[in-house]
Amino acid sequence: MQLELGVVGSAAAFLAFAVALYGAVAGVLGASRRDPRLVTSARLSAVAGFLVATVAIVVMESALLTDDFSVSYVAQHSRISSPVWVKVVTLWAALEGSILLWAWLLSGYTALVAAVAALSPLRPWAIAVMQGVQTFFFFVLAFLANPFKVLPNPPLDGPGPNELLQNHWMMAVHPVLMYLGFVGLTVPFAYAMAALITRRPGAEWMVLTRRWTLAGWGFLSAAIVAGGWWSYEVLGWGGYWAWDPVENVSLMPWLTATAFVHSVQVQERRHMLKPWNVALILTTFALSVLGTFLTRSGVVSSVHAFGSGPVGPAFLAFFVIVVLVSFGLLAARWEDVKDRAELDSLVSREGAMLGVNVLFLALAFAVLLGTLFPLVVEAISGDRVTVGPPFFDQVTLPIWMLVLLLMGIGPLLPWRKAEEQSLRSNLAWMLAGLVVAGGLAWALGVRKLYPALTVGLAGYNVVSLGLLLAGALVPRMRLAKRPALQVLRSYAHENRRRVGSMVVHFAVVVIAVGVAFSAGYRVDEQVRLDIGGSAEFEGYTLTATELFVDPTAARVSAGVLVEVRSGDRFVTTLRPRINVFPGSNRGIPTPAVLYRPSHDLYLSLNSNVAPGTTFVVLRVVKSPLVTWIWVGGALLALGTAYALGGSTRRVAARVSVPAAAAREA
Amino acid sequence: MRKKLLYGALGVVVLAAAGLMIARALQTSLVYFVLPSEYARDAASFDGRRIRLAGLVEPGSVSFDDAQLQLTFNVTDAIKTYPVTYKGAPPDLFQENGGVVIEGQFHEGVFVGDNLLVKHSNDYHPPDDGQVDVEALKESLR
Repeated sequence: MQLELGVVGSAAAFLAFAVALYGAVAGVLGASRRDPRLVTSARLSAVAGFLVATVAIVVMESALLTDDFSVSYVAQHSRISSPVWVKVVTLWAALEGSILLWAWLLSGYTALVAAVAALSPLRPWAIAVMQGVQTFFFFVLAFLANPFKVLPNPPLDGPGPNELLQNHWMMAVHPVLMYLGFVGLTVPFAYAMAALITRRPGAEWMVLTRRWTLAGWGFLSAAIVAGGWWSYEVLGWGGYWAWDPVENVSLMPWLTATAFVHSVQVQERRHMLKPWNVALILTTFALSVLGTFLTRSGVVSSVHAFGSGPVGPAFLAFFVIVVLVSFGLLAARWEDVKDRAELDSLVSREGAMLGVNVLFLALAFAVLLGTLFPLVVEAISGDRVTVGPPFFDQVTLPIWMLVLLLMGIGPLLPWRKAEEQSLRSNLAWMLAGLVVAGGLAWALGVRKLYPALTVGLAGYNVVSLGLLLAGALVPRMRLAKRPALQVLRSYAHENRRRVGSMVVHFAVVVIAVGVAFSAGYRVDEQVRLDIGGSAEFEGYTLTATELFVDPTAARVSAGVLVEVRSGDRFVTTLRPRINVFPGSNRGIPTPAVLYRPSHDLYLSLNSNVAPGTTFVVLRVVKSPLVTWIWVGGALLALGTAYALGGSTRRVAARVSVPAAAAREA
Repeated sequence: MRKKLLYGALGVVVLAAAGLMIARALQTSLVYFVLPSEYARDAASFDGRRIRLAGLVEPGSVSFDDAQLQLTFNVTDAIKTYPVTYKGAPPDLFQENGGVVIEGQFHEGVFVGDNLLVKHSNDYHPPDDGQVDVEALKESLR
C-alpha cells in the first residue's frame, strides 16, 4: 500500500508539536535546575523540531505540485491548471498553510538560535520561550487547522487559490517577508523574557539579539512596502494604503519595533530605559499576535481577511496568555529592571531617541484605536461603523512630521548633553535647508500644507545627513590626507551600522516625499473611451486602439490596448485588462501602469469587455512621485542589509559574552 | 524635583492635546453603515455626514447614461427606498436584486455615492412574499 501524503503530513505536524512541547518543558526544567544534560537535550530538540517541520513543508509542497487532492488543503486551494509558481506559493495563500509556513519559519529560527547563538545564561531560557511559542503554533496546526486531513473521496480538481493572490507574483514575496519579520522579532522577545526570568536586565539580552532585531525589523519594513506595491498593482484603485484593518495590524508592530530599534541604543550607551525596552519588545510581540487574531477571526471586516474559524479564538487566548505572562513577569521583576540613571538633558541623543519613541508609540496607539474603535462602538451601541482614512490622516500626519523633525536633529546630537555652540550652527544650516526646499516647492506651485512641509523637512534632513557625513569625513581627510572618496569608502566600511542608519534615514525621506505627493496631488477620474476614440487626461491623449483577448492555460485576459501620447509624442501602449481564472466567473481587473520618475499613469478597466463592446470605462489615476516609495523601500532594505553585513568581529569584541556574563555574576 | 514636575506637566499637556485631537478626528470620520429604513428613522442625525448605505438594487430602477457615465438606481430594504446616483460604470456582477454598499452623502433626497461595492454573498435570498428580514439582510451585506 502506498503511504498517503496526508498521513505523513499529519504525523509530522503532531510530531512537531510533541517535539516543541518536549523542548519547552525540558528547557525550563533544565535551565531552572541547572541541569546541563536537559539543557543540551532541549537545544538538540530545537534542531529536531525544525527537521520535522521541514518534513511537513516538503509534504505539503509535494502534494501541491503533484495535485494530490486527497490532501484537504490541496483540494480546497489548488488547481491542476495553475502554473508551477502559483502551486508553490499556494502553501501560504490560505489560513492553514500560512500557519504551517509561520510555524516552520519559527522552528527554523529556533534551530538557528540553538545552533549559532553565543553561549550565555540567557540562551537556555530564550530557546525555551521560543519552543513555547512554537508549541502554540504547532498545536493550532495539528489540532485546529490541520491542512493534511485525508479526503476519502478526493475531488478531480480544486478551485485554485484566491484570484487576487494568483494575479500577481508579489504574492510569492510579501507574505514570506512579513512572517520573517514577525518571527525574527520573536528572538529579541524570547531573550527579553529570558532576561526577566534570570534577573539580568542589563544590555546583554539586546546586544546578543542586535542582529536578529535589525533583521526582523528590516524584513517587516520590506514586507510593508512590498504589500503596498502589491495593493497598487492589483487592487485597481491606484492607491497603496487604505488604512484597512489588515494593513493597520501589520503597521502596529512595525511602529513599536521601530521605537525599540532606537531605544535599545540608549540602554547600550547610557544604561537607561531598561523597563521601557523590555515593555516595547513585549508589546511588539503581543501586537503581532493580536494582529494575527484580528485578521484570522473575521472580527474586523477587511478586503484581505482570512475568514472565520476556531483559529481566531485560539490566537485570542494566546494573546491574553502572552500579555498576562510577559507583563506579569515584568511587574514581578520591577525592582531589578527599574532605571537608576536619569536623563541629563532633553537636548541630547538620548533625549531625541526618547522623543521619537514617544512619537512612535503615539502612532501605534492611534492606529490601534482607529482599528479597534468600530468593535467598541458595535459592542456598546450595536451600530456598525467604520473609521475612515480621514481619521488616520488627521491624527498621524502631524506626528509623522514631528518624526521627520526629530530624525534630522537626533543623530547630530551628542550623548548626555549637547553643546549649544555646535547645536546652534547645525540647526541654522538645517533650518536653512528647510526654508530653501520648502520655499522652492512653494515657488513651484506646491500650496498644500503637508506636501510643502514634507519637502521642507526633506531638505532639512538632507542637510542633516550632509552635516553628519562631513563631521565624520572632514577630520579623517585632514588626518589621512587622502581624497574624499577613499576616506568615505573606508569610513563606510568601518562604520557599517552608522552608515547603514544614514542610508535608512535617507530612504525614509524619499518615501515620505513619495507618500506626500502621491496622496496630496493624486488625480483620479473615470474616463469613457470609444474603441478607436480618444480622450484627454492631464496632458495625455489616451486612444483605445482595439480590444484584445489573450487566453492561456492559467487564465483568460480580455482588455483594451490604450495608446498613450503626450502632445504629439507617442509614449507607450498600455494593456488594462480583466483576468478570469478557471473555476471562477469573477473577473479580476488588472491595472496597467506607466511608471515614470515624475508621476505614474495608472489605467484600470471599470467595465466589461466582450465581443461587440463599443466603448470601455477606465479609471485613470495620475499619482506624482509614487514610484519613489518603492525606490525608498528598496533603499531602506539595502541600508538595513548594509548595517547587518560585514564581519561580526567588532560586535563580538565589544560584547565579549563570557566577560559580560562574569561581570553580571 | 522641579525638573520632574516640569516633565510631568509637559506630559499632561501633550496627552490632553493628543486626546482632544483624537476625539475630534474620530467624531468627524466615523462612517455609519445603515440600511435605507434605518436612515429614514434617524435621518436628521446623519445630516451632512458620509454614510455607507446598504441594500438591494430595486428591479427596474437601473439606468446607465454611458455618455456621462452616470449610473442611477434605487436602493431598498423593502421598507424604505432611496434613489442613488453614482459616477462611473456599473461594476462587475452589479445586478437587480443584488446586494450593494454605497459610500457617499445625501443631497436633497438623492444619495450621491462615490464608492460602489457589490456584495455577492449567497447568505441572503429575498423571500417570495416580499417580507424582508432586515437583520439577516444587514448581516449579509456587511
